[in-house]
Amino acid sequence: MTTLPLNTKTNTGEDPRQRAQLVMKHTSFGAVTDDILKVNESSRPPKSWYFALAVSFAMMSMLGIMIGYLIFTGVGVWGNNNPVAWGYPIVNFVFWVGIGHAGTLISAILFLFRQKWRTAINRFAEAMTIFAVICAGTFPGIHIGRIWLAYWLFPIPNQMDMWPQFRSPLLWDVFAVGTYFTVSLLFWYLGMIPDIATMRDRTTTKVKAVVYGLLSLGWRGSMRHWHRYERAYLLLAALATPLVLSVHSVVSFDFAVAQLPGWHTTIFPPYFVAGAIFSGFAMVMTLAIPARQLWGLKNFITMRHLENMCKVILLTGSMVGYAYSMEFFIAWYSGEIYESFTFINRAFGPYSWAYWIMVSCNVITPQIFWFKKARNSIAIMFTASLLVNVGMWFERFVIVVTSLANDFLPSSWGMYEPTWVDVLTFFGSFGLFMTFFLLFIRFLPVLAISEIKAIMPQADPHGHGHSCYEMEGETDASAKEAEEDE
Amino acid sequence: MSSVNEPKNTERMWWRSLDEAIVPNEFKSTNTDEFPDGSSELLATGNDRRHFLKIMGASMALAGLGVTGCRRWPKEHIVPYAHRPEGTMPGIPQHYASCFDFGGISQGVLVTSNDGRPTKIEGNPTHPDSKGATDAFTQSSILDLYDPDRSRGVEYDGKKSSLPAFKEWISTYLPNQGKGVAVVVEPSSSPTFHRMRRAFMKKNPQAMWVEYAPLANTNEREALGHAFGGNWMPVHDFSKAKTILSIDADFLGAGPAQVPNTRGWSEGRKVNHGHMSRLLMIETALSVTGSKADERLALSPAQILAFSLHDGANDGANYDSVEGASFTAAQQAWLKKTAKDMGNVDLVVAGANQPPVVHYRVAKWNEMIGAVGKTVWYRPVENGSNATLADVASRMKDGTIESVIVIGGNPAFTAPSDLGFATALKEVPLSVHLSYYTDETSSVCKWHVNQSHWLETWSDGQSLDGTTCIGQPLIEPLFGGLSSSEFLAILAGAEVTDSHTLVRRTFNPNADLWNPAWRTAVHDGVVANTASLETPPVNRKSFTDNSVVGGVGMTALFTSSASVWDGRFANNGWMQELPDALTKLTWDNAALLSPATAKELGVKQGDMLKVTVGKESIEIAALPVPGTADGCVILPLGYGRTFKGRVCTGAGVDIYPLRTSNNTWAASAKVVATGGTNPLATTQLHFGVNTTPGKGTQERLPLLFREGTLDQYNDDPAFARHIGHTLHSLSIFEEQQFEGAQYKWGMSIDLSTCTGCNACVAACHAENNIPIVGKDQVLMGREMHWLRIDRYFAFGSDGHGGYDGNNLESVMIQPLTCHHCENAPCEEVCPVAATVHDTDGLNVMVYNRCVGTRYCSNNCPFKVRRFNYFDYFRRDPLRSTGLLQVQPDYYVKAQSGGKTLRAMQFNPDVTVRMRGVMEKCTYCTQRIQRAKIATKNAWVKKTEAQKAADPRVAIADGSIVTACEQACPAGAIVFGDLMDEKSRVSILHNEKRSYEMLEELNIKARTRYLARLTNPIDGSSAVEGATH
Repeated sequence: MTTLPLNTKTNTGEDPRQRAQLVMKHTSFGAVTDDILKVNESSRPPKSWYFALAVSFAMMSMLGIMIGYLIFTGVGVWGNNNPVAWGYPIVNFVFWVGIGHAGTLISAILFLFRQKWRTAINRFAEAMTIFAVICAGTFPGIHIGRIWLAYWLFPIPNQMDMWPQFRSPLLWDVFAVGTYFTVSLLFWYLGMIPDIATMRDRTTTKVKAVVYGLLSLGWRGSMRHWHRYERAYLLLAALATPLVLSVHSVVSFDFAVAQLPGWHTTIFPPYFVAGAIFSGFAMVMTLAIPARQLWGLKNFITMRHLENMCKVILLTGSMVGYAYSMEFFIAWYSGEIYESFTFINRAFGPYSWAYWIMVSCNVITPQIFWFKKARNSIAIMFTASLLVNVGMWFERFVIVVTSLANDFLPSSWGMYEPTWVDVLTFFGSFGLFMTFFLLFIRFLPVLAISEIKAIMPQADPHGHGHSCYEMEGETDASAKEAEEDE
Repeated sequence: MSSVNEPKNTERMWWRSLDEAIVPNEFKSTNTDEFPDGSSELLATGNDRRHFLKIMGASMALAGLGVTGCRRWPKEHIVPYAHRPEGTMPGIPQHYASCFDFGGISQGVLVTSNDGRPTKIEGNPTHPDSKGATDAFTQSSILDLYDPDRSRGVEYDGKKSSLPAFKEWISTYLPNQGKGVAVVVEPSSSPTFHRMRRAFMKKNPQAMWVEYAPLANTNEREALGHAFGGNWMPVHDFSKAKTILSIDADFLGAGPAQVPNTRGWSEGRKVNHGHMSRLLMIETALSVTGSKADERLALSPAQILAFSLHDGANDGANYDSVEGASFTAAQQAWLKKTAKDMGNVDLVVAGANQPPVVHYRVAKWNEMIGAVGKTVWYRPVENGSNATLADVASRMKDGTIESVIVIGGNPAFTAPSDLGFATALKEVPLSVHLSYYTDETSSVCKWHVNQSHWLETWSDGQSLDGTTCIGQPLIEPLFGGLSSSEFLAILAGAEVTDSHTLVRRTFNPNADLWNPAWRTAVHDGVVANTASLETPPVNRKSFTDNSVVGGVGMTALFTSSASVWDGRFANNGWMQELPDALTKLTWDNAALLSPATAKELGVKQGDMLKVTVGKESIEIAALPVPGTADGCVILPLGYGRTFKGRVCTGAGVDIYPLRTSNNTWAASAKVVATGGTNPLATTQLHFGVNTTPGKGTQERLPLLFREGTLDQYNDDPAFARHIGHTLHSLSIFEEQQFEGAQYKWGMSIDLSTCTGCNACVAACHAENNIPIVGKDQVLMGREMHWLRIDRYFAFGSDGHGGYDGNNLESVMIQPLTCHHCENAPCEEVCPVAATVHDTDGLNVMVYNRCVGTRYCSNNCPFKVRRFNYFDYFRRDPLRSTGLLQVQPDYYVKAQSGGKTLRAMQFNPDVTVRMRGVMEKCTYCTQRIQRAKIATKNAWVKKTEAQKAADPRVAIADGSIVTACEQACPAGAIVFGDLMDEKSRVSILHNEKRSYEMLEELNIKARTRYLARLTNPIDGSSAVEGATH
């Protein structure tokens, strides 16, 4: 039984006889724990963390001020108007829900498919999901006219004997997003229990010991614990998997069930799911690249991980591009004048700028990932991931605003312009998201320590598993080849 | 009815009840008893202590729980209705006939009074002009009654004074015999006013008497004076005319005779044995009438003059040789095409802005074609003028006049600018203004006397045909004030000066209060058989006037505004926010230009223009309107008031400075673009004709607005249904079955006769407590009109696959409101079931269930739902909504100035909506409900046999009229029960012309349109608007 010497440079080589190593440079479990918890355990986080937190917190406070202003003044502080009754808030809602997609996809679906590379990114992708869904959930809550009655959207027994109207997709949204958030939160927390226990055991301060002690729910690492833990994790993964598909399908029903040209499209559910995965992966990438740099996690979030994500982005980006063209085709093929007009108007009407930003960011930009060079260039992939985020926001803007602005009767057409409150609220939501995220990377294990250990060669000393490091017939030559690929 | 005014009169005492007044001492003793009966129980010990604690506990819980304790409820006083006036029932509105003098013609109205508050104005069905319909001005004038800016007392030199002080002053200082006195009044049809005028003139024979109104039809008056001698006014009957020629006369547009004209015209538009009337129109600006014309030609004022004066105007001769104006090839082709019809016209009308010579010619023309006595009559009108406004101005300047008394009107604002009227008036030692507002004229007068609203005083007047009308007050003057007749009576030193006696004595000097004829007249609002139509022969003496129209440069045209008229409705929020019928402009006036002229000047909508006439110039935003004659700029008057009203401040630009005595209606002007912009708040966006949205509009219009020619209709009456084709689709949800429905409400709107006059929109505003939102909110697209009138332009091809924005083919006017779809798309998307169907088929909006997701609005294909983005009734429409939109008075119920005053207009049967709530047309559900309750109450009292014969409790057709239907002078809107096969609406829905808008969505709308029919000469195209 030989252990292959770890490639010190990169692990992006593709050799069918040899699986690439997923954790680089680490030889012992202890070192892994030390490296990952370095950030949490250091007495002082880097200055950049303080700076980022200050900025994020300021933005989050701005969000709070904007919401307060909104509640005291009225929805009129936004740019919404008569034809365009939904504007930024719903665009932002769909945008954030979309971002919240990657986390559960990575943790649940990739887990079920035994994609071991997911272990390096799943924890913070899940965290990202939770925070993105919190941001998303904020918007439908505050966008209604009488915010103090938002609870009427929930099926709460009441003296009026009034139930919500179950045919409304908005109600389905409440259930879909609520379920998704609950399951994602449970899944995230459950996965963290062994790691929190590790932190509890290593902590030096009393307060942390108590807090982590409570959070770790008395985890002792016994076989029985592990057994139950893994069963529960598997079950939750299975439970979360359909949710990945359902949430954004249901979100797309908000539009697809309406009869507005440009909304009323059967392609919406798969197209929204693809778009959500697309934007979610882009966001994971946007967060992972600086995080691995600053937190020194390059050996865990390796180039191979980033490359895999690039491939997912390429795939889903192309799916989204296909959906765009299919929408156009169907609009033309239907022979419906309102439908065809909506799409021509999107591309050439008053909002064509938004449409072309969307197409160039979402369809053209990911095509660069056909090239391996691009998939291995941090600068290119970071830029591309940012552009995809921008593009996906504009996709929702195009869907929501352009369809509403020019619908059936030309007399009721109207242009939508966001106000400063709209814009600051949107930026504020990034503050909320980043504040949560920064607190998360400081106080919770940013990577799944126990899971990472499980994919290391040491985890399978007997070679019965399918760990890549023990593949039969491995030669130095193949390893060299892998190096040369770079 | 009592005055809301503070009790200034110290003699008045306020009794809690009659008993208090009769036995004050006894009452006082009980009243001052600190502890009423039973209160001792509270003080007792034992079991009652527990009771006390229980009550205390409960009230503390109530006080502290939730928000109840924290909220400051407004303090309100309750006055018991101890003695109910006979025949009234609290909550049941009363209706009283009255009349409203507008532009010298009395508008007959029926005013709804809710517990002493007039809340709504309808037309008086017995009035010969109104016949139950109204116009937008009349509808909106009720808001003026509750205007917080209205003058509240007598002022001297800007300081508060009193009426006795004024009376004393005037009796002391008014010169004997009226030497050096000038009285400036507005034209009035009131016999009492003229009786008082005669009394005044008898006492002051040397006084100057001037009737002045900026929009009075003085040219016509002058021409008819020449033709018949004296003062005459034409009265038209458009229903009898087969072919009508209008020379720049917007007879269907806003004006004192709009209601009878519209009714008459729309009657003639009904297809009768395959025929309907034809309207030929020559005009400069695109008017409401022009938009309904079958053949329309846009001409400059000079060309119109040339056309009208041309000898061959009625025989199809060549026009290219007409002196003073040349016609383009397209215009000549039009004139040639219409020549035959021009020869067959039944009625010719000329617009107010045509020179006297044209009016004289039209009078001759009508006589020649035998129209007089068939389609046109003349009526003598009273006019006491013995001088002109220019005379007054010049004599004010040379000091020969020392006293100027202005009764109503606002000449300091509206007088021709060359007279310098305002500055001269300021120098006059004795000046008095009777006015509703402390307006521009009041501010330069020494005395200001507040005028009462017409709903606060007795009045009389003459309808268009001369029928005498009696107007009764609906409420005591809220802030005191005098009517113009009362004021004049004081000046004339009459012994009785109260309007009631004055009007009654005019009616019959000997009539007392109980005179049956008087009581009938007051009840009906009109005195039957008092019309005075005559057919005098035209005097053939040659008539010339020196009217010069146009000249170098562009021609500026001064027109009335359909929103503020001459400026008098400028402080009326409903009128300011009422979108203009054709431009859809609110809160502003604009320089209307043809698209070609705008292109020449290099301006688009909202770009500022500098218009210079003589030495005066103004800056105003441009608004291109297709169908306007090239080289002309149309300037609606009445905006840009300097009076600091809550509503009118900052709205529009004052045009009066450009208007001088020589060019009251048109002037040659220099127009240049300044480079600045002023965003114009139009309720419909303008997209370039050849942009994607512009082309999309043109493409779908034939489906949305179906129109055809008379020939098409005669060939295939169901042509409109053949324009679109619909697949029979199935609903994804179970369709509403309407099981057990007793009624099936529906509406029909006739696009053929609807002129877009806006009366329905104003009526809806008044009936349904709809807020105004202000210019900034209209700019954002948040206007709240439940009923809107869509206007589309159809253009001809430019020959390159696009459309030619200068080739206006048709103007489409389409009222649109909630269609009450049976498969309502709004209902299935509401997450809280705030919009649902009732069994009668109404799409009901439950305001207090609505949380405001606005999803319903998104899913409404007509976009007729309106969302309260702010608490619009608590929001000052003029307050800037810049950085801080939180209203300082947000939490205060008694808002600055006049919240409670404004609230008096509210219809108590309609909820006032708060912010965050969606609203929309309800088919006037409160009116339906009222009729339903009455019918059901009557049904219960029927015998069993009668009940068995009417198991459905059918409501008689026509007993429910929606506010829009009631106001419509064209009778274009019909509402009723579709379950009743004989109801008017059922018949109209079954008419072949009827079609459903967006039928392909399977929404099953309850509102259907009747396709528009036009009667063009060649029958193949709609309106040919040959601009050049």
